[in-house]
Amino acid sequence: MPFFKTIRWIVWKDLISEWRTRETMSSMLFFALIVILVFSFSFSMDQDAARQLIAGIIWVAFTFTGIIGLGKSFTSELQNDCLESLQMSPAPKGAIYLGKVAANFLFMLSVEILLFPLFVLFFNLDVIEAVGTLLIIFFLATLGLSAVGTLFSALTVQIRAREVMLPVLLLPLAVPVMIAAVEATRGALSGDPFSFYSQWIQLLTIFDIIFTVVSFWLFEFILDS
Amino acid sequence: MINRIIRQIQRYKGWFGGAAAICIFLGLYIGLLASPPDYYQGELVRIMYVHVPLAHTSTLAYSVLFFGSIWYLWKRDPLVDNMCQASASICALFTSLALITGSIWAKPTWNTWWTWDPRLVSFTVLLLILGGYIMLRRLVDDRVQGGRYAAILAIVGGIDLPIIKFSVEWWRTLHQPMSFSTRGVSISEDILVPLTLMSIGCWLLFAYMVMVRTQILYLTDLLHAKKGRFLSQTHFSQTTP
Amino acid sequence: MIAIQVSNLSKAYGFYRIFEDLSFDIYPGECFALFGPNGAGKTTLLRILSTLQAPSHGQFTIFGQNGVSQKEAVREIIMLIAHGSHLYDELSATENLQFALGLRGQSPAPSQIKRALDRTGIGPFADLKIRQFSAGMKKRLDFAKTILAQPQLLLLDEPYNALDHAGVVITNQLIQETLNRAGTVFMTTHDRDKATQIATRGGILKGGHLQLLSPEQLATDAVF
Repeated sequence: MPFFKTIRWIVWKDLISEWRTRETMSSMLFFALIVILVFSFSFSMDQDAARQLIAGIIWVAFTFTGIIGLGKSFTSELQNDCLESLQMSPAPKGAIYLGKVAANFLFMLSVEILLFPLFVLFFNLDVIEAVGTLLIIFFLATLGLSAVGTLFSALTVQIRAREVMLPVLLLPLAVPVMIAAVEATRGALSGDPFSFYSQWIQLLTIFDIIFTVVSFWLFEFILDS
Repeated sequence: MINRIIRQIQRYKGWFGGAAAICIFLGLYIGLLASPPDYYQGELVRIMYVHVPLAHTSTLAYSVLFFGSIWYLWKRDPLVDNMCQASASICALFTSLALITGSIWAKPTWNTWWTWDPRLVSFTVLLLILGGYIMLRRLVDDRVQGGRYAAILAIVGGIDLPIIKFSVEWWRTLHQPMSFSTRGVSISEDILVPLTLMSIGCWLLFAYMVMVRTQILYLTDLLHAKKGRFLSQTHFSQTTP
Repeated sequence: MIAIQVSNLSKAYGFYRIFEDLSFDIYPGECFALFGPNGAGKTTLLRILSTLQAPSHGQFTIFGQNGVSQKEAVREIIMLIAHGSHLYDELSATENLQFALGLRGQSPAPSQIKRALDRTGIGPFADLKIRQFSAGMKKRLDFAKTILAQPQLLLLDEPYNALDHAGVVITNQLIQETLNRAGTVFMTTHDRDKATQIATRGGILKGGHLQLLSPEQLATDAVF
């Protein structure tokens, strides 16, 4: 069965379905906006304090928003028993996994790119030089969250209390991504030289590679009995 | 009918239990009463005799869970699944105790109940992963599917834990001075004996607890099987023309 | 080659035995109808044959491929039409067909898709989103899928549910077409009248055991 064609079909299907309703993206954006507002009320910050905390706030917002998108990734397969058809499909399960990771990655990254200017606005950040590096950080961290998140989204979709279980299972495992993303973002926003925080980017890359491979391999056991 | 291994467990677990009791009793006696107090930490070092073995055993327990989960996904032996389930809850117990004893030691030493020490944080995340594992098993109705999903979680967790530890360590070196360290206990002759005794005792205790719990889980499943068989025979006899 | 060969198949659900020691053979070109009371395990058996669930004991082969160890190979030659329509609400009928066949490694030409949709009577709705389809229309779309996919074994779970008379006619026509090209059909159903119009063999799953029926027995009421 064609491997890359399968990935293409899955990505196409998820993107088109989302484009027609814009349900997932709008709920993600709306939720993120609320999170940003709540954070700005909770911490009354001057410039210096903002600089310290903002990286953490950004990644908390992105992660919780991402979890919404990850959850919808497989709950959308529950309509009309489509999950069953994926289970029965002769297409290689690894390709289905990669297709879902790609789609989730694109959704999450789009939301992050749309939201980041709001952060810049609300918290008066100075980001011109750092944009390229920030994009790399967003890319790597989102890929890591997608890789593990898609695996656990598929795992939790068929169990009770699935909306609770996805963050409960995913967040402890995503700790390295969170730490690395926050540290790297903080470094980039503070204008530190790249060598100061390049170790975190390395960590993100290694995490991404390891967990994409591991999840790719384990995904088969979720759909199959 | 009952698995051969379970028979052996039933026969030999007592030995493990007894050996564990002896080691722990001796270790505690020497550690808590007979050995001299540490030069720097005074009486407080005695908590180390409990905390360190607990932490080691928790790591051992997770290793059992990790390799057991891989084995289960490969061979699908339900007894291995029972063992994994047993290891997980016992690992959670040892981890909690390690965290509590660590906290008790930390308070007088550093005047804080909690510190962002890499090992402390890693153990907390481990506890969270185990909590997720136990919840996952409860929430899935089908035993076989639940075993499979839990094994996946344990494997991902096992690969992630070293990475978590590294990332917290790196983070710590950036944000806090290294003067706080759980490696503060210097190893001297006097400490080594009770520490080793307690470590071996805790391992044996873990082995004993896993054996007992695995046996309980296995027999419970067997009981369900028999009940199910009985019920289905009733169903068969009622509906056969 | 035998289409479906089942030997000593047993399934236990949480250790509650649904059925045990089922053995039967089905040959290409046959349409086998499985009857039985509610809760007898018809759907379970169908799902096992569809490789969606694994049996507890025993084994089965589909066109020579083992249903448990060679699942991927089996999935390439079978197709299941079940209660859920396996259709995505936000996609149109045409897009759903393209997706489903794309995952099977096929890329049918637009004309073929149009023809399949016309044959099942939903040609005018080709670009309508599934969200606006009725249950009967979804069933017909599923049949359009099988026309394009041409599986060697077609598995149907209570195909006559939610179908009006026209739908039943089309269903039986399409089953006949499948049989004509030496495909095989295995269905579970309650509807003796509709199924016996098309079924060549049948069986009753009751009390955990399968009682096979000859064509003559199928036609009469006595056994049911």
